[in-house]
Amino acid sequence: MEDEKNELTPKKQSLFPVSAEDIVDNALQNLDEEQARAVTRKAADEVVRIAVEKRKAEYRNSAAQEEMRNLIDNANLLDRRGGDYKINSTFETASGTTNVEVRKSKLTQTNLIVIVVGLIAVILILVFLILKT
Amino acid sequence: MDYVITAVIIGIIVFIYSNNSKIFNIISPESSSDSQTKAKDADLIKSLLSLDEESLEELLKLYKNQFGRGAGRYARKTFQKWKAGKVRPNRRTFERFLIQLPKVMSYDLKCEVLRLLMEAYCSKNDYRISVFTDDWEETLEPLVKRIIDKSYTAELPRLIEEKLHWLADGEMRIARNILKESQAKESRIAVSMLRQEFSGIENLLAGINSESRVTHQLKFPYGTITLEIKRR
Repeated sequence: MEDEKNELTPKKQSLFPVSAEDIVDNALQNLDEEQARAVTRKAADEVVRIAVEKRKAEYRNSAAQEEMRNLIDNANLLDRRGGDYKINSTFETASGTTNVEVRKSKLTQTNLIVIVVGLIAVILILVFLILKT
Repeated sequence: MDYVITAVIIGIIVFIYSNNSKIFNIISPESSSDSQTKAKDADLIKSLLSLDEESLEELLKLYKNQFGRGAGRYARKTFQKWKAGKVRPNRRTFERFLIQLPKVMSYDLKCEVLRLLMEAYCSKNDYRISVFTDDWEETLEPLVKRIIDKSYTAELPRLIEEKLHWLADGEMRIARNILKESQAKESRIAVSMLRQEFSGIENLLAGINSESRVTHQLKFPYGTITLEIKRR
């Protein structure tokens, strides 16, 4: 009898608005047994899924770190060989995707500007000489 | 004679117009709103196409059991065409998949459909910022917090809630809370290794002698943050 009374007494009484857990608890009370079981199972499944995701994220992270080290080695190797090169790499990490572009080109932006300025100067000299003659 | 011919032609035109005006009046506004509804219904069906293989199989089996072999075969055959946008699902297909089937779907499947709908239709925020390897934490921390907190506040558009009444059932309200908590946790796990990731990126930028450009995109259920990372 005492137990029944206790069961009828609300488990949580608060002056403050209900929290997310309370919403779940309250909503669970309105479900039939089968629904409550399905909901509880789903919540447990999510816990397991998140634990698996955590492991996957850790794995992705360590794999990405390893691939980045390889990229450094490859870029430096190409650097030592000389010549132009461009490497585009994508790494799947725990938080998302990292894109890396490494390039070495003799035709840098500065070089290009110097070439264009030089060409303009040559053309201007030629025009000047033609006009003079 | 000419007047007679003209009068006859005008008479014919007036007759045709008066007979068809009602049809025109009825069809035109309805067809436009109907096509809009169809477009939205078709989009909702499209979000189902992203279900994982197992859930999709469960869904198609349920469809066959509920609406017969012919309908099941058609759905299985047409699913890829719906996915590719070659065929637009009609209203009946929408009603079958998203209004009638949820009544017999397992709780797990309904939760998966809810997850897809939430990820497809809740508003998203995409940010693009430049950071240095030594100051990213200050810039990124508040932004990441904001985007993770969105998991708790994300809501489906009212139009979808009104169409899919089953989403308001008690068990689905719990499903939303489970989903929100789960998405927030998943996002926290994803960013929990950011320091390690940035350390790797810093080593990469320091170790390469040539010109290099690094971008990193953080993906969350309700948004992305794209970082352009530089080293001083």
